[in-house]
Amino acid sequence: MNSTAQVANSIAQSEISPSMLRRHGIWDALLRNATRTAAITVLLLLGGVILSLVQGSIPAFKAFGFGFLTTETWNPVTEKFGALAPIYGTLVTSFIAMLIGIPVSLGVAIFITELCPLWLRRPISTAIELLAGIPSIIYGIWGLFVLSPFLQAHVQPLIIGTFAGVPVLSSLFAGPPYGIGIFTAGIILSIMVLPYITSVTRDVFETVPAVLKESAYGLGCTTWEVVSKVVLPYTRAGVIGGIMLGLGRALGETMAVTFVIGNAHKIAASILAPGTTISANIANEFTEAEGDLYTSSLVAQGLILFGITFIVLAAARLMLLRLEMRSGSKV
Amino acid sequence: MNDNSPASGSLTTQKPHLGVREHEGAKQPLTEKVSVKDVCFFYGESKALKNITLPIYERKVTALIGPSGCGKSTLLRIFNRMYDLYPKQRAEGEILFDGGNVLDPKQDLNLLRARIGMVFQKPTPFPMSIYDNIAFGIRLYERLPKSEMDDRVESALKRAALWDEVKGKLGTSGLGLSGGQQQRLCIARTIAVRPEVVLLDEPTSALDPIATAKVEELIYQLKNDYTIVIVTHNMQQAARVADYTAFMYLGELIEFGETRQVFTKPTKSRTEDYITGRFG
Amino acid sequence: MNAAIYNRRRAVNGVIMVLAWFAAASGIFVLALILGTLLYKGLGGVSWAVFSQNTPPPGSAGGLLNAIYGSVMMTLIGTALGTPIGILAGTYMAEYGRGNKLTMVVRFINDILLSAPSIVIGLFVYEMLVVTMGHFSAWAGGVALGLLVLPVVVRTTEDMLLLVPDSMREASSALGSPRWVVIMQVAYRAARAGMLTGVLLAIARITGETAPLLFTALNNQFMSTNMNAPMANLPVVIFQFALSPYADWQKLAWTGALLITVTVLILNVGARALSTRTSKS
Repeated sequence: MNSTAQVANSIAQSEISPSMLRRHGIWDALLRNATRTAAITVLLLLGGVILSLVQGSIPAFKAFGFGFLTTETWNPVTEKFGALAPIYGTLVTSFIAMLIGIPVSLGVAIFITELCPLWLRRPISTAIELLAGIPSIIYGIWGLFVLSPFLQAHVQPLIIGTFAGVPVLSSLFAGPPYGIGIFTAGIILSIMVLPYITSVTRDVFETVPAVLKESAYGLGCTTWEVVSKVVLPYTRAGVIGGIMLGLGRALGETMAVTFVIGNAHKIAASILAPGTTISANIANEFTEAEGDLYTSSLVAQGLILFGITFIVLAAARLMLLRLEMRSGSKV
Repeated sequence: MNDNSPASGSLTTQKPHLGVREHEGAKQPLTEKVSVKDVCFFYGESKALKNITLPIYERKVTALIGPSGCGKSTLLRIFNRMYDLYPKQRAEGEILFDGGNVLDPKQDLNLLRARIGMVFQKPTPFPMSIYDNIAFGIRLYERLPKSEMDDRVESALKRAALWDEVKGKLGTSGLGLSGGQQQRLCIARTIAVRPEVVLLDEPTSALDPIATAKVEELIYQLKNDYTIVIVTHNMQQAARVADYTAFMYLGELIEFGETRQVFTKPTKSRTEDYITGRFG
Repeated sequence: MNAAIYNRRRAVNGVIMVLAWFAAASGIFVLALILGTLLYKGLGGVSWAVFSQNTPPPGSAGGLLNAIYGSVMMTLIGTALGTPIGILAGTYMAEYGRGNKLTMVVRFINDILLSAPSIVIGLFVYEMLVVTMGHFSAWAGGVALGLLVLPVVVRTTEDMLLLVPDSMREASSALGSPRWVVIMQVAYRAARAGMLTGVLLAIARITGETAPLLFTALNNQFMSTNMNAPMANLPVVIFQFALSPYADWQKLAWTGALLITVTVLILNVGARALSTRTSKS
């Protein structure tokens, strides 16, 4: 049969350029392998980070053993190093940050999702997210030159005066008002975690089905009752995930804290006193550290910090993942 | 051999068909361009198509009709192995096309798809200029000088009855066209590659009646050169454009035959129920 | 119906709603305060000298030229390193390995790297490059920044490619496109704006990064174009100058802080505008 279609076919097939076919084959293999390699690189990167930190901290752990974690002494002259003060500072500053940051972030998220007029929603969300974009060194310089003097002159004397006679609180908030210190670092951190917690919380708040909220409103619930009894229980995993994400940021934050923490290697009873954190300690001393043991003690702190944040961040991701899967399977 | 209305059961015995069939206007001998033989399809564990056997005649329009979920789109996506993009989907059986088996794992899918084109339910212009949309497929396998490429683009747009509407703005984005124009652009893009078979998956379901009429007119024109398989949920459309019609139900081929016969004298009661609107 | 209970509920609600208003207002207030301080303290120092002279010794006037140059160079290196690897990895996750085990693990690890303390990345690069090369260098600084760009780009590339409808991929495949054409000529093109947004956000992120540069690029008082040697950069100069007792240096630190913040905000706002424009079309 000699239909024109068949003739057309043979023409069409002869037009296929063999060089093009080869090119397609090469590119296909190239792209597939390149993307796979790149994906594996991400894994190797994490492995490399852990490995190099572990290797770098071996001398410190060999010299001080478990005591490295429980010793407050930090003496470069006698080469006696313990990480307790920075670990304490890291945990306490982050705790203060969370104490202030969580309620304020939830407040902002509630404002954006429940109270805010529609036209204001975008500008406010954008402004809060711009807070996240400001580099941490800016928070540092602002904290040192604006926030600390303000706290020193107005807030800290007030706190010290208020709790002067109270048994436990008087030593927790004992003077003098330095301005810089653990407390100030905590406040700066609370500002820095605000946008992270807020944006995650706002996003998960928006996953609550409208019918659920409407039926609660329909029963005569107030806005706060809807939020606390319907929205929050529904989004609990996501909110906790967002909080953990913020906590991860606070634990590892370096520059902002370095400016305002005071860099004192001791654990004071008062949170108004200067202190240090792991990251501030590394930032301040690493380039000046002389001798393997000094350097290794700083790297070992980096390993501890990475360990803590890894656990916190992994928990946060798992929480968010669980929420994602739940809402995914529901839709 | 039973000339009219081979039902699903009797189709298995059919040989590659060269016998002359008389039907409206068709004086040429019929060739089976594609032969579906005993094809089953699975989404994971569930069987979506059950032992389909069906001839697709050269330069005829074959319509696949049936209620939603009957497997007509699934069947269409087997012709060009579209399902291969997704894991856990697999087909069994044979689809003979030009002496080869489409379902052969060694089949070069890209070349297969260049020869069996497909147009989708929703228009899918690429985010590039009208010209580049058409040239996209040609550039895949052919190296053409600019002037020749221009000719190919122009003729494809003319064949798709879109040339007059876009000839002044070939450099503008394909996304700026109306829905009906976008769909004709997609048809032009498909035929620019010079496929032998064109698969149309409910090509007018997202279009308004006027755009639909234009696309139908186009299909009528295209069958002079191409073998066309069209999935449609619109029975009037099948009656208007198709030479042959296959009625499917719950993953099975219930009836296949010339369109006029299927619509006027269906051999199966289920077909009749569907055609007359008693279900589906 | 008990009026007392009802009133109590209303009161509680009222208090909390006021607090929510207050929280949002204080967020905006702090942002305004920070930007205001930067403008107030930094704007006065902006002059041609800032862009034409190098960092001065204490007690004399100067500019930030060497620091700006260093920051630009290291940002370029970081972007040039992190972007292609990030795009490729994100492509694997969205196109080839969608939903498979490797993708799940990489996504999890990448999300952790995304929020990992940047100073730890600095330590890693120190151990890997500075120790082995025996000296601090701009290369090391660039690599450290690249490692911070990578997870941002991986994340946005995957997200943006997943937003490209599969019908687009099918349409391309149906014409006989091999996979690489589907990805590079159709999916990339459709996700272009979103992927660019990711790169912009990543650049914004590293523009102000200080911690990982402290012990990789270190700092340099002088103009240096040698990538193999320590190099000045804005964040570290700001750090050093702000904590110094010299008024000239502190003034330059504020000016540098203003420059960085303006750059970062422009990148952020640009990225945002780009992503809203695409989500509309």
